[in-house]
Amino acid sequence: MAFPQGLPSGPSLRTFPHGLPSGPSLRPDLTQLYWGLCIPTRAVCDAETIFALSSGHGRCGVAVVRVSGPASSMVLRNMAGLTQALPPPRTALLRRITDPQSKELLDRGLVLWFKGPHSFTGEDSAEFHIHGGPAVITAVLQALGSLEGVRPAEAGEFTRRAFHAGKLGLTEVEGLGDLIHAETEAQRRQALRQMDGELGRLYQDWSYRLKRCLAHVEAFIDFSEDELIEDGVLNQVDSSVRQLETEIERHLKDERRGERLRTGVQVVIAGATNAGKSSLLNTLCQRPAAIVSPIAGTTRDIVETSLDIGGFPVLLSDTAGLRDSSDSVEREGVRRARQRVEQADLTLVVVDSTQLPPDPQLVPAFLQEHLSTVLPSPEAGMKAASDRVLLVLNKSDLVPEEQRERTEGELRERPGLPPACFLSCSTSTGLEDFLTVLQSRVKTLCGDPLSGAPSLTQARHRAHLQQSVQALNQYHQYRDQDLALAAEGVRLALTHLGRITGRVGAEEILDIIFRDFCIGK
Amino acid sequence: MLAQKLHLLRHNVLSFVSSRTGSDLTRRQYDVIVVGGGHAGTEAAAAAARLGAETLLITQKIMTIGALSCNPSLGGVGKGQLVREVDALDGLCGRAGDSAGVHFSILNRSKGPAVWGPRAQLDRERYRQFIQSELLSTPRLTVLEGSVDELLVSQPNPEEPGHHRVTGIRLVDGSHPILSSSVVLTTGTFLSGSLFMGQTTSPGGRMGDAQSCAGLSYTLKETLGLRVGRLRTGTPPRIVKESVDLSLAQLQAPDKQPTPFSFLNTHTRCKPEEQLPCYLTHTTPGVERVVRESVHLNCHIQQDTKGPRYCPSIESRVLRFPGRRHQVWLEPEGLTSDLLYPQGLSMTMPPDLQLRLLREIPALHRAEIRAPGYGVQYDFVCPTQLTPSLQVKSTQGLFLAGQINGTTGYEEAAAQGLWAGVNAGRTALSLPPIALSRTQSYIGVLIDDLVGRGVTEPYRMFTSRAEFRTYLRPDNADLRLTPRGFEEVGCVTLRRYKKAVSVRDGLQEALMALQSVALSSTRWREKLGNISLSENKSTTLNGLDLLQYKDVSFEMLASAFPECLSQYFEYSQRLKIEAVYRPHCEKQSREMERIRSEESLSLPSDMDYLSLPVSLSHEVREILDRVRPNTCDVRPCPDTHTCVLNRLFGYAKIKSVTHVFDNS
Repeated sequence: MAFPQGLPSGPSLRTFPHGLPSGPSLRPDLTQLYWGLCIPTRAVCDAETIFALSSGHGRCGVAVVRVSGPASSMVLRNMAGLTQALPPPRTALLRRITDPQSKELLDRGLVLWFKGPHSFTGEDSAEFHIHGGPAVITAVLQALGSLEGVRPAEAGEFTRRAFHAGKLGLTEVEGLGDLIHAETEAQRRQALRQMDGELGRLYQDWSYRLKRCLAHVEAFIDFSEDELIEDGVLNQVDSSVRQLETEIERHLKDERRGERLRTGVQVVIAGATNAGKSSLLNTLCQRPAAIVSPIAGTTRDIVETSLDIGGFPVLLSDTAGLRDSSDSVEREGVRRARQRVEQADLTLVVVDSTQLPPDPQLVPAFLQEHLSTVLPSPEAGMKAASDRVLLVLNKSDLVPEEQRERTEGELRERPGLPPACFLSCSTSTGLEDFLTVLQSRVKTLCGDPLSGAPSLTQARHRAHLQQSVQALNQYHQYRDQDLALAAEGVRLALTHLGRITGRVGAEEILDIIFRDFCIGK
Repeated sequence: MLAQKLHLLRHNVLSFVSSRTGSDLTRRQYDVIVVGGGHAGTEAAAAAARLGAETLLITQKIMTIGALSCNPSLGGVGKGQLVREVDALDGLCGRAGDSAGVHFSILNRSKGPAVWGPRAQLDRERYRQFIQSELLSTPRLTVLEGSVDELLVSQPNPEEPGHHRVTGIRLVDGSHPILSSSVVLTTGTFLSGSLFMGQTTSPGGRMGDAQSCAGLSYTLKETLGLRVGRLRTGTPPRIVKESVDLSLAQLQAPDKQPTPFSFLNTHTRCKPEEQLPCYLTHTTPGVERVVRESVHLNCHIQQDTKGPRYCPSIESRVLRFPGRRHQVWLEPEGLTSDLLYPQGLSMTMPPDLQLRLLREIPALHRAEIRAPGYGVQYDFVCPTQLTPSLQVKSTQGLFLAGQINGTTGYEEAAAQGLWAGVNAGRTALSLPPIALSRTQSYIGVLIDDLVGRGVTEPYRMFTSRAEFRTYLRPDNADLRLTPRGFEEVGCVTLRRYKKAVSVRDGLQEALMALQSVALSSTRWREKLGNISLSENKSTTLNGLDLLQYKDVSFEMLASAFPECLSQYFEYSQRLKIEAVYRPHCEKQSREMERIRSEESLSLPSDMDYLSLPVSLSHEVREILDRVRPNTCDVRPCPDTHTCVLNRLFGYAKIKSVTHVFDNS
């Protein structure tokens, strides 16, 4: 390429190192975000403090709960009763671990303090090495969640923070990619599993309705001045938001799994008189806690006992046999029994196998009929039948082997009928199988901490739902004053809900706007 | 005086043309060449020149530089924010708007300062004059009339990413090539543009202008192998003002006190009382009838090319939402213009039917058309092929801005033009490219959306696109952008920088003064009279806390503490806004920080994905190699999983650490 003579010495043949696109960008550092003002504001630039169960899930000897972020030292002081100096970094210290609010003793365990940057994440961190029982873990996690400025970690957040702090080397990246992936996948699968069915549909429905609310507010902001967006649009949003708040709040109150894990699963033994309910109680707690006799109506009041079933706390109640009685004491016993069944997390309906119809084909209908007399109301009965009831066919030793097997075959996977187990309290035959079924039920009721990290996930869900409700308050607060801030509230609520149901992007909102409104300037 | 100046200006432009056409060029090499003189091109050329690059702007007709080819207005909700930001980076359109505006209003006044939309109706003539005189007086900027036939490219510089390198352009007249290592294309709708009216189609990008860019289209598609898509847009007929019965339309008055777009201006050229009104009217069932009857005569509407959903032709509005009244704004075209612009009546039916349609509207029952409406279809380059500095990834030194990237609107074009000009200038001056964060500006949101997600319809800015809307406000654009524009980018003049710094310092002082006055809520009630404070009696509140309350104004506080606050009266509105928004912005800072740190983890565009020592499947490697994402955000890559992101994330982090290390 020939250049004419006399050209100004322009930068023609320079090379222009484009460099890596990591060239300077207009990124202020956070201290300068607000014009570098030196006004004392709250520590806005500090990352939040996060916590999570970091050890393997499920029952184990020791569980490790990790805390990372600027409030870690505060957490350590509050939870481990360290009023004075923190322990020397990276040194284990045996402490009583208490709930910072109630001062209740939660566990005794090792605590470790890692002063940043000498920690996995590069931030101030702390670790609690506690006993691995689900109840202890849940209690500690809940206590952590109750501290201000501390929240459950997002999937992969510790690793992500470590990345940002430059704590990981090249060789670690590959493996960590898999790790994060696995972690996220597991949590996603778990979320999906938990959200399968009704709960999932509920969250999706909220998310959809919230999206529409946001789209309508956004339409009002971005278009109303030159468009025909009906003035009533915001009134509709008002009532939708209020409705959503009510529903989410109600849902938050209903959700009792965490409590169950702390207070024990309410398992109630119920059934007709003389079916062997008290024998079942004694068999389960391996001691004669309840009086047993061949006389119908021996048990008149509730007999309670605490059990550990597969690591889960269970509060087992034996109740009076259900029958019409002229005896006023027994009548009161029956009333209490029915009341207890209504409140139960799980009802063990005990049936005397010798009373079953000899023709196995008739058994399902018989049991169905029987359940309806034991369980409270028909609707509740139907619902409960699937997941809140176990049928215990006692005295199996008195039924001929062949009839028992045929009946078992008939009962296997009967839709609408709860699982049934043949059992003999006197010979303990079938006890192991029954315990397996019982344990899996209890596990489900407690949120199954043996797979994935359900207590954590639930803490996350709960936190997000609560934050959602809080954010919706902001909508009402600013509705008439500043619509941008009101919309921010709805957006925030959706972000929190989106952490459970999936992210929502601006394009999605615009799609709803264009679908619902005739926009055109 | 003014007239004389204008006369001088015209004279200059003309003499300028004659001396610089064709082979008369004294220079055949520039630091930066900008092709196109619309909103993107003018901002790009001016920005590159401000940076210190010797810049050439090539346009088909010098007289149409700065022409408003469609609506005679600037700003609005979301768009007004862009104008304020372009101004904060010392661009032209804000000041041009202040000079040309004839009807100013702040939209969304009742909805909160974050979503206020500064907007103005413009005098077309004044706008053009302003832009032309600005360009003319910009040092290092040369304007040339001509049509570009070919983009010259050569082998890439092997030390940089890309398959080609720009070396200059060649004009249609076949003269010598003009050389440059940085070229900004802002060809608007002229890339394979075709015009539609009724059943006739003709090549072109704007009615009355020459068709162009056939050679350019070829270079982009065939030589550079860029993927292009097709979009459409349209413009309404222009109506003779005298023929309109304005008594049948609803008068829309401007704001009593015009608010200037530019941070440099305290008032607009148009005096408050000189402002012109707009008029609002509506479509009738008759309009819908004409549309339905004319569908078979309307080939633009029958095509399925994507048009803008939010600025549709009257045909598509009526067909999509039948049985409704649609708004039509009758807007002035200027102080001396005898035309009205019917906003909302963009149409492409044959001219006789256009007239019939207009006359179905009562106020327009005897309307006369000066120029009929028409549609345009044009090629755009899929913007995911660009880097955040608006450079084509595969071609060193080639930048694109405006409608060529699939956007619509003057403001969107101006914003991209400015940023492309900045980066073209930096490239020419051997400075590294620079990107704007979406946490920091609407311009950043715009560019990130374009290069990160691409477009499927003409892209327009909305406030709902910005995650951090409460921070990206029109009131603080100067503080967000001007200091950095001067210190880091180099596109801001010293005068503007000094002004922004003094405002920043003043506000800072004022905020501190507000915080220094602290009283119990009881005492505040005594001082300010009947205000409702939710806090209980013993709480101590400072002035900034108090200013968050709806009923409390800075003026009230200043009258309570005149000795320490009254000196800050000029900032009263900005202080009030800051007080209300600050707590919300603080809440978002964590999310902002997350996005920023991820934005900063950019992937080198010359990354060798095929041999990267990271566990990736071969298929994913090929996708990444093809798409070359700018950041670890893998949205633009189809079929890639988020775990890929995580792996790249780690790699990018390590790379960028090494990179910094290498430099030190």
